[in-house]
Amino acid sequence: MPVDLENSSTASGEASVSSTGNQNAPPKSTNKKKRSLPGTPDPDAEVIALSPKTLLATNRFVCEICNKGFQRDQNLQLHRRGHNLPWKLRQRSNKEVKKRVYVCPEKSCVHHDPTRALGDLTGIKKHFCRKHGEKKWKCDKCSKKYAVQSDYKAHSKVCGTKEYKCDCGAVFSRRDSFITHRAFCDMLTKESAKVQSEEPNLIEGMVKPNTESDPKVQPVDSSTSTPPTAVLAPALTKSTAAVSSSVSPGQSSEMPENSPQVVEEAPLSAALNGSCSSSSSSSGTGTKSSSVFASLFASSTASATLQPSQTPVLTDLMRAMAPPERPTDVGSSSSTDPIALCLSTNPGSSIFGSGGQEPRQYSQPAMSATALLQKAAQMGAAASNATLLRGFGIVSSSSSASAHEDSVRWSERSFESDNVSLPGLGLGLPCEGSSGLKELMMGTPSVFGPNKPTLDFLGLGMAAGGATPGVGRSALVPPAGGALDVAARAASLGGGGGGGGEIAGKDIGTSS
Amino acid sequence: MMQFTETPPPPLHQISSFSNFTMNKNQIHRTRPWPGFPSSKSFASFGDANCMEQLLVHCANAIESNDATLAQQILWVLNNIAPPDGDSNQRLTCAFLRALITRAAKSGTCKMLAAMANAHCNLVVHNHKFSVIELASFVDLTPWHRFGFTAANAAILEAVDGCSVVHIVDLSLTHCMQIPTLIDAIANRFEGPPRLKLTVAGATEDVPPMLDLSYEELGTKLVNFARSRNVMLEFRVIPSSYADGFASLIEQMRVQQLVYAESGEALVINCHMMLHYIPEETLNPSTTFSSLNPYSLEYYSSTSISLRSMFLKAIRSLEPTIVVLVDEDADLTANNLVCRLRSAFNYLWIPYDLVDTFLPRGSKQREWYEAAVCWKVENVIAHEGLQRVERLEPKSRWVQRMRNANFRGITFGEEAVSELKTMLDEHAAGWGLKKEEDDLVLTWKGHNAVFASAWVPAA
Repeated sequence: MPVDLENSSTASGEASVSSTGNQNAPPKSTNKKKRSLPGTPDPDAEVIALSPKTLLATNRFVCEICNKGFQRDQNLQLHRRGHNLPWKLRQRSNKEVKKRVYVCPEKSCVHHDPTRALGDLTGIKKHFCRKHGEKKWKCDKCSKKYAVQSDYKAHSKVCGTKEYKCDCGAVFSRRDSFITHRAFCDMLTKESAKVQSEEPNLIEGMVKPNTESDPKVQPVDSSTSTPPTAVLAPALTKSTAAVSSSVSPGQSSEMPENSPQVVEEAPLSAALNGSCSSSSSSSGTGTKSSSVFASLFASSTASATLQPSQTPVLTDLMRAMAPPERPTDVGSSSSTDPIALCLSTNPGSSIFGSGGQEPRQYSQPAMSATALLQKAAQMGAAASNATLLRGFGIVSSSSSASAHEDSVRWSERSFESDNVSLPGLGLGLPCEGSSGLKELMMGTPSVFGPNKPTLDFLGLGMAAGGATPGVGRSALVPPAGGALDVAARAASLGGGGGGGGEIAGKDIGTSS
Repeated sequence: MMQFTETPPPPLHQISSFSNFTMNKNQIHRTRPWPGFPSSKSFASFGDANCMEQLLVHCANAIESNDATLAQQILWVLNNIAPPDGDSNQRLTCAFLRALITRAAKSGTCKMLAAMANAHCNLVVHNHKFSVIELASFVDLTPWHRFGFTAANAAILEAVDGCSVVHIVDLSLTHCMQIPTLIDAIANRFEGPPRLKLTVAGATEDVPPMLDLSYEELGTKLVNFARSRNVMLEFRVIPSSYADGFASLIEQMRVQQLVYAESGEALVINCHMMLHYIPEETLNPSTTFSSLNPYSLEYYSSTSISLRSMFLKAIRSLEPTIVVLVDEDADLTANNLVCRLRSAFNYLWIPYDLVDTFLPRGSKQREWYEAAVCWKVENVIAHEGLQRVERLEPKSRWVQRMRNANFRGITFGEEAVSELKTMLDEHAAGWGLKKEEDDLVLTWKGHNAVFASAWVPAA
């Protein structure tokens, strides 16, 4: 602890004393008006104007040995003693030292005027920080922020002690928050209930809308000094509910625990529900914030499941997903070509089913959507490693038991129904050479890493390759609990989680 | 730092033209002062809010032109760059993404999406039903509501000075959360508290924040609280909806005016973020006309005046002592989806941005808070017609409406201003207070968030 040269009577400008700092610039207080204006210095004093930089410099005096910085030369000198370096403290001089005052460097500030200068350096420094500086110190308890560390320290000592406290235990730092709380808190109800003795059904009669009962003036409580409440004229209360007094002690506003909305869509079969629940139950991957796309795909596949007549749509989808120019061979393509996200541009392939209207007729002068997409893909690759896969992972997460069968059956069928081999899934970007997309799909390798193989691989599998039905099915049975549909065709990759892992891993490894 | 500037800064992001919605991206290049977004190197120069906005706009265009393939592609990409648990811009984008999917699903052509929407998987914005205590602390998380409360209370107190009976009509989104402080302030009035009457419109709609308590019970608590402050309070609920411009409330008030007109009772109309739900001109009049029952049909059909303007004229005819109008300062009325999307995107970043300053990730309150914003996004983007109730208008348009209804603006007192400054000082550093003509504007990082204005009948 450096010696505080309290009685050296400010021999140098820098050596002013910190302990008096608070006198001239008190912390913000609500009773400012009562104080006399700060900063009415001795007119003879020497006025010092420092630049903000000089003012805020914290380590102007640096030790050449250890690089430690000091605010004051005197303190550095004391420090030098420890290094056995020559040092020199200024001696107290006998001649009268001219008083110095300091002005605030901020031109718009009242303390910029020499007539309102502050008497010590620390004071002006704190003033400058408080009024014109950034509030860097934040109280963890109440989030108040301070520009000066000492203010912060002082606050944190008393934080929590000068608060408004409700009988229920809640604590407030602001009066209006407290009042709002207090008005609605049950503690108030209980308290006032003690001094009241009305029949509880009074209010019930009054509050009913459209009540025909004449809500005339009810003397509420003659024992208390509160005036009786009156109710508006009967004519006016038609279709109104009037509450003129309160009783109901102990009526508590319990908030019913809101259970997440359970969706029960009658027309949907178990499979759909299954896939829904699968997306919500996918929290195994740590996604309570499951991405929107998860449901999109979950249900898109599910809807196909529902309506066998619609399988063509799905097939379409699958075909669409296959890169047009490379329709076959899973193995080679998965190891060489990052088809992952190849996008269909085939007419009629739209998931949206808007069949004919393929032409994209919207104009954008600045940047084409494709360019945007590519850019965004790059950024997506770098930025979000999780969501994409999470999204797809969800599709494949476990479904309810009832859905299980359907799913399996469906996937069986789809395996039989076509030989589409490369169900790449994704965007309609030109598939050749869109390196951005590659990245997007392949993401950061870590995504494919072992941390969450089961779910993600299923999703990804879609992109990566086909499988023999047999494998697909067996893959469906394991832990994923009848994982779904589309994913199944890729089951050899991602399938039951365990087995397929390495293949996909390799695949990724080479491509990324 | 809190700012208090007399001169409004130039609007930084305005929709330059309604017709030209496929604008050049460079034309409305926004320079947002919010920090911390593109700092991450992975986002390169492109990964900013502008890019996301562009993608959303493209997606909206694709959906509107039924280009399902393209829409889906963009949705895909957006999904990748905007995780729901990302930074504030990503969460903002995610909210719009959800809304766009909902919208796409609603147009019947997209069967897959429709199936998804039916399944409601995770698209449904789940709005918490607040207990009254939760709501009380919720409105105090930010100055968003308290700003209006404080400004309004100060103006009301000044206006009803000396009145022995004060009738307050509270049209507030926040379920009377303003009233306790008003009671408290009025209880300490020098000449003693007046008799208070409080009339609220019984909410029939589910607009967040939602309360799990009936208004009757709420009124009981308020009456009880008032009594504890020695204030006599009468509370009544008039079932009335913004959808028809609070027709039944107005009707009741008219009857009452006949009774009390001579009594010298002060009438205060306090409108807190509620009037923007009243249908305005851009809502197709034919639907409005057929399904609603405004005050007087002949009048309505003979002119093209909106319910919103009619409502203001109606309250003007009640000769109120003061009308306080507090609302969010944005324009979400455009019929064109893309315009609306841009406008909403350039306003609703504020709640997402500021939430980081006071609520930790994963907290319940934050979930509720963001769900409410999400709800708003969905309402603006996914819905049309009567379902689309979030029809914010900028301050300037409200001022025009009020003047057209023959109101005159009054200035907020110095007391109000200094109280607001103190309050803002206790919140995060991004908040600011601005004075624009007679009105006060709450700003976040220099951008207008909420305005407060006070009005009296013009001579």
